[in-house]
Formats: sequence, structure tokens, C-alpha cells
Amino acid sequence: MASIRAQFEIPGKMKTWSIALIAIGILAFIIGLVTKATHGEHGKVEFIGTLMYNSIFFTLVCNASMFFICATTLAMGGWQIAFRRVPEAISTVVPWFGGITWLILFYVVVIDHNHHIYHWLDEKAVDGDNILRGKKGFLNPTFYLVWTTLAIGLWILLGRRMRKLSSQADEKAMDAEEGQRYIWKNTVSAALFIVWFALTVGSTIPWLWQMSIDAHWYSTMYSWYTFASSFVSGMSLVALFVIYLKNKGYLEFTTQEHLHDIGKFMFAFSIFWTYLWFSQYMLIWYANIPEETVYFQHRVLGPYKGIFFLNLIINFVCPILILMKRGAKRNYTLITFMAVLIIFGHWVDFYQMVMGSLSKEHVTLGWLDFGIAAFFVGMIIMIVGKSLASKPLVAKYHPYLKESIIHHT
Amino acid sequence: MHLKYESQLREPLVTGNKDYHQVTEDICRPIEAKPTKLWYVGFFIAVTLLMFGVYSVYREVTYGIGQWNLNKTIGWGWDITNFVWWVGIGHAGTLISAILLLFRQGWRTGVNRAAEAMTIFAVMCAGQFPIFHMGRVWMAFFVLPYPNTRGPLWTNFNSPLLWDVFAISTYFTVSLLFWYSGLIPDFATVRDRAKTKLRKLLYGVASFGWTGSTKHWQRHESLSLVLAGLSTPLVLSVHTIVSFDFATSVIPGWHTTIFPPYFVAGAVFSGFAMVQTLMLMLRKIFVLEDYITLGHIEAMNKVIVLTGSIVGCAYLTELFMGWYSQNKYEGYTFWYSRANLFSPYGWSYWGMMACNVISPQLFWSRKLRRNLFVTFFMSIIVNIGMWFERFVIIVTSLYRDYLPSSWSPYYSPSIWEMGFYAGTFGLFFTCFFLFAKYFPVIAIAEIKYVLKVSGDNYKAGVEKEEKMPVEEFVHEYAH
Repeated sequence: MASIRAQFEIPGKMKTWSIALIAIGILAFIIGLVTKATHGEHGKVEFIGTLMYNSIFFTLVCNASMFFICATTLAMGGWQIAFRRVPEAISTVVPWFGGITWLILFYVVVIDHNHHIYHWLDEKAVDGDNILRGKKGFLNPTFYLVWTTLAIGLWILLGRRMRKLSSQADEKAMDAEEGQRYIWKNTVSAALFIVWFALTVGSTIPWLWQMSIDAHWYSTMYSWYTFASSFVSGMSLVALFVIYLKNKGYLEFTTQEHLHDIGKFMFAFSIFWTYLWFSQYMLIWYANIPEETVYFQHRVLGPYKGIFFLNLIINFVCPILILMKRGAKRNYTLITFMAVLIIFGHWVDFYQMVMGSLSKEHVTLGWLDFGIAAFFVGMIIMIVGKSLASKPLVAKYHPYLKESIIHHT
Repeated sequence: MHLKYESQLREPLVTGNKDYHQVTEDICRPIEAKPTKLWYVGFFIAVTLLMFGVYSVYREVTYGIGQWNLNKTIGWGWDITNFVWWVGIGHAGTLISAILLLFRQGWRTGVNRAAEAMTIFAVMCAGQFPIFHMGRVWMAFFVLPYPNTRGPLWTNFNSPLLWDVFAISTYFTVSLLFWYSGLIPDFATVRDRAKTKLRKLLYGVASFGWTGSTKHWQRHESLSLVLAGLSTPLVLSVHTIVSFDFATSVIPGWHTTIFPPYFVAGAVFSGFAMVQTLMLMLRKIFVLEDYITLGHIEAMNKVIVLTGSIVGCAYLTELFMGWYSQNKYEGYTFWYSRANLFSPYGWSYWGMMACNVISPQLFWSRKLRRNLFVTFFMSIIVNIGMWFERFVIIVTSLYRDYLPSSWSPYYSPSIWEMGFYAGTFGLFFTCFFLFAKYFPVIAIAEIKYVLKVSGDNYKAGVEKEEKMPVEEFVHEYAH
């Protein structure tokens, strides 16, 4: 009877890479601070905007892991238990990135009061503008800050609660009654998270953080679209770590069968993202109402044309063509490639959502964007590595673990 | 060694200590016995309603759309409301058979057959409304794209109404094929048990000479998977395109980008409610409590609370944007014509909110999810709510045009409009009664497929595996 190889040890290379990436990020931040942030309003907006979309994107992507855990828990899924510690570890990044995002947004809204980013912060302009004046009840610094704090705070607290519950499955074998009670506790906690998730990521948070950059523009689809973008990237991130651990000889219960299902999520939610993209774009295009089309004007016809189509090619054309086949979803190399591509693609999507509104005249995508992204990627590698090492990789006594071990698609 | 195992913590999907033979017996019994009195009474009522519907449609075809109370601005009234309502209901069947198949939800096997039948009948009912709404129904073939001399407008490919024609006919075709291909092995079972020649002949023809050979099963399984793959996007596309009928316009209350996914969620919501209504009756009348268990009912109630909440999230998003946009017309539609209880149609908005958003929240409670009376009551409430939703969307957006001079008088339907709606109930239940009498209402083959994993007696047999330490389990069974 072989014992389970459940203790992850952080390899030296992982440490080196994460530190190197974080260092690159910090360097980019400093150079950006010197060369851009202090060189006129435009440079500053570009600098802060870059920090904003990166922090928002990576926070939501890591938070998607907790969404995945809670959604599968509510659906009474058993297949994911073999690798569930991976999304759990990814979700431990949320307090860090949530904190960073909070600091950046706090800086923008309170300290800098930057109305070049959020036009609605300019009190004079708001007073002279009927539409913006009407929105004051929602678009004001106090509500923005309180809601942002609550959102991030509860993601952290409710996520921690789920992870704590998960640790109980490391302790001792459960009999039927204990197992039942354990599943029930998980279900209740997961439901709390999902409800809060719907009230934040599924509605208000993307309106506040991103949509209100175009203070006049609105689209009811916006938040669900943002969710789809971050969720499909979140699944890709899970796939990457699962494959990494498999390659290092861990997660012996996770097989091609599980990978296949993760691949299905990547495929299905790429199509779902496209569906929401199409619905939003097509309806605005078809109705052709100026106050709505203004959002797409410079994105489709202006300088962002290239990014606009790149977004579609990476996030729709590639997944549908490459991930459609069964074989592709069971191929470690292809899934790795696609996961990286999808995360990159949706990072570009977030780029155009935020920077496309802040810098309408020219596309700024360059070293600063990649540098700041490197920081976040490095942080993810470091924190997830540490979290993976802090707990057994498999919750040995989880009541559904055996289902997951014999799982096949 | 390959193991058929699922955790004992999960409720069994088949109860009552069944074996394969017992499954066949239980499900074939209603087909082989004489119909009960209750069946005749129900069938008679359904046919009567259908006849009333036929007469109502006859009036409309003969005398024109004037038989309905549509007016200057409310050009779509009960007809399109009913159309969307029925199409929505027609979503659950294919969702259960395709999407839940892909999600490997074992409980679908207890309900998929009847749900698919319901889907097909509901889509048939839905189709009547746009066809007869055309007024000159004999011109219906205008929607078909073939080379014609009618000029550049027809067939109008730019119109979402035409996309509907394609979407719904495709959906109907694939759903029908899916349903029927699943029926083939079960028809063969009924054929093999037939005692009369006629019966043998009819079920023999219907089962296409199925012998149950491995080759047949192999083809059957791959066909099912292909059809599931095809149906999955179709489930989304149909109601998406129905939502486009509204959302591509510039009418406040119709033009909103969240419409497509929210319509799909609403469709699944109402579809499941209808499945619930039918299943609760079916399991009682045909004594199928061992196959449609409380666990099945609870699972469907979970889908109802989920989709109801998604729909609620969308309602609130729309309402919020009605204010946030600071667009006068949007604001007027959402806050005056709808959310204001004392506006002419305010009652319908609050009816919708109460039925679709507030009351399904009861199902957060496990106790209520497993309560048959509450479930039955709620399943009706949800479908009333979903009817209100379509009425709200259509009528409250239309009854006041931009200029007060184009405002309409209060709209209430004529008896023939209502008769048409009642007629579709007749059509639906006539079909459903015939289905219940002549078709196996539960997929026999599929129940047998899950029986050895999820049947209560078989589940009791994995006690050893359940108790086994995980290391040993892996050693024995991991592949």
C-alpha cells in the first residue's frame, strides 16, 4: 500500500522565477513612476490605468478559483476533489491582490481624486452635467470606497471560511453522519460566497471599477461579461497549476480525465464569453444609438482596431478551433499552451476595457503593461507555491474523494 | 479493476430495491394497462380546450386580427407573450437531456423523457402564435428563403423575426430527433412485451428493428453524444434569438444588452417549473415515486432557485440601469411604467417580481425544496410569473409611445385571444396525455444504466469501499 505524496515542496526554480518576475515588476513600476507618472497628466493616467486593470484582472482571476470551488460544491460535484487544493491555493492570493487593488483604487479616488480616470470625481463637471449629476447617488467616493471595501473584505472572509472547512478533511475519517454534516456545512458556506459573488462580481463591482470610467456610458451586460472573462482565465490558471504539479509528480489521483473536464470548462466558458461578447456588441451595433455606440467607436474604427480583433481571435477563434477535439483537452502540452493563451487573451480584454477608455487616441500597450503583469504573475507563483506547501495536496478524508479517484469522463 | 461506485452520502436515484426486470415492469405498466377514468376525463378536457382554440383561430383567420384587442401601439399582446412563454417552457427538456448529460448529472435519467416530450409539445404550441399573428396565414411561406420575385425585402435576413424561424425550427428538429432516438430502445422493449399483433407491428415499426445488439448500442451512444453536442448551443440560441426580437430595437425596456443570457435563464426557470408540475402529477398517477424521488424534485428545485435568482439579478440590473443611464425614456419605462405599482400595468410588474424573484427564494430551505405541496404550488406560481414577465416586457414598453398623442387605451385581450391561448393548453395536454398513454414516460434504458451505481440496493453493496482507507482504495481501484 503506497502512501500518498501529499506534501508539496517548493522547488528552487519556482522561487527564483517568482522573485525574478516580481523584481521585473517592481523595476517596471519604478521606471514607470519616473518616466510616465511624473510626465504630464496623460502619462500619469496611463501609469495608473495600467496598475488598475492589472490589479483588477488578476484579483478577479484568482477569485474565480473560489467561485469554482463554491459552484462545484453547490452542484454536489465529486470529480474536482482530487485537485481541489489547487484552486484553494490560488484563492489565497485574493487577500494580497484585493489589498493591492484596494490601495490603487483608494489612491485614485481619495488621495489623487483623479478625474482623468473617473470623470465623475470632477465635482464641477458633475454639477454642470445633468446625467452625471443624476448618477451621484451611485458614483460618489464614499459609496465607491465602502462598497469596494466590503466586496474585497467579504471575498477574503468567505473564501477563508471555505478553506478552513476544507482543512477539516485532513484530520480524520468521517462516518456517514459526520460526512453528511460536513457536506452540509460546505454547502452553506459556498452558498454565502456565491450570493455575495453575484452581488459584487455579477453586478456592482465591474460597474464601479471599470464601467464608470466611461461615466456616461452603460450596458446591462457589462458585469456578466467581465465575470465570463475572469472566470475562463481563472479555470486556465487552475489548469496550469494542476499540470505543473502533475509534471513534478504530485497529484497522483488527478488524471487525464480530470484534465479533460478542466479543458471542457476552458472550452465552454470561452464560448460563453464569446456569446456575451457577441450579444453586447451586436445589440449595440444593431440599435445604433449614439450614446451606446460611443463605447465601440474608437475600439472598432479607431486605434484599438487591432486589439479589438486580436481579442476575438485569441479568446474565441483559437479556443473553438483548438479545444473542440477531445484529444486536445486530454493533452497536457496543448492545454498548457491554451491556458497561457487564454489568460493572455483576457488580460488583453481587460486592457482594452480599461485603457480603451482612458487612452482613446492611441494604444499604449508596451513594456509597462508587461512589466506590471510580470509582478502579478510572480506574486501568483510565489503565494500559490507557499499555500500549496502549507497543506496536504489532497484532502484525504473528503467524503467525495473516492469518487474523484475513479472519475472518468 | 473497474469499480462502479458513488458515495453513499448521495441519495439513491432509484429506490424500492429494483432489479432490471422490475424497472421494465414498472415503466411499461401504464402503457399496457387500460387507461384510467382520470385519463379519459383529462383527455376530454384537453381536447375540448383544443377545440375552443381551433374555433378561436378560425375566427381570427376568417375575420382578421381585428378579432383580437391589439391596438395602435400594442401590436404585440397576448399572442407574442404566449409565444415567448411557450418557447421558454420548451427549454427544460433539451437542457436536461443535453447540458445535464454533458455535466453528468445522473438524476436527469428519471425525468428526461417526459421533459423532452414536454419540450416538443411546448415548441409546437409556441409556433402557433407567430404563424397566426401574421394575419394572412396563407402567406406564411414568405418566411422561407427561396428565390422569389417579391423584391429585396423578402426574405428579410436582417430581421430577428426571421432568425426565429430558423432557430426554432432547428431546435424543434434536433429536439425531436434526440427524443426519438432515445425512445428507440424503449419502444423495442414494449414491442418485445406486446401481446397483440397490432401492438407488435406498431411498436416494431416505431423501434426501427432495434435488436439491442452491441453494434446498435454503440451507434446509439455516439448518436446521442453528437445530438447532445448539437443541442447544447441550440438551447442557448433559441431564447437568445427570441430576446433579439426585442433587444435589437430601440424601444426603451426592450433594448438592453443583458437580454440574451437573461432570457435563457428565464426560459430554463419556467421550463423546470413546468417539468415539476408534470412530474409531480406523473409520479403520483403512474406510481413512479421510486424513479422520480424526492431527490429528483429537490435537484430541480435547486435549478429553479438558481435560475430564478439569475433572472432576479437581471431584473435588478435593468431597473438599476434604467436609473443609472439617466436616460429619460429608459427611466420612464422602468420606474414609471413598470416599478410604479399604481401605473396602469404596475400590477403586472409586481406580480412578476413576487412570482419570479421573491417566492423562489423559499427554495433556499432544504425542507421546502423537499415538500411536495410547496413544490407543486411554486411550480405553478413560477409559470404565472414568467407569463407576467413577457407581458410586462411587451405591453409596458408599448402602451405609451414617445408622444402622448400615440398613447393607447388600456389593453385587455378579447375572448378569442384568450381562446387561442387556452387552445394551446389543449394542444399541449392532448399531446401529453397521448404521450403518457403510449410512450414509456421514463427512459427505461437510461434508468437501467444508472441503476447499478445509484440504485438503493446496489449502493448498499459498496459499504466495503466506503469504509476503506483511501490508500487501499487507490491501490485496488485507481486507473
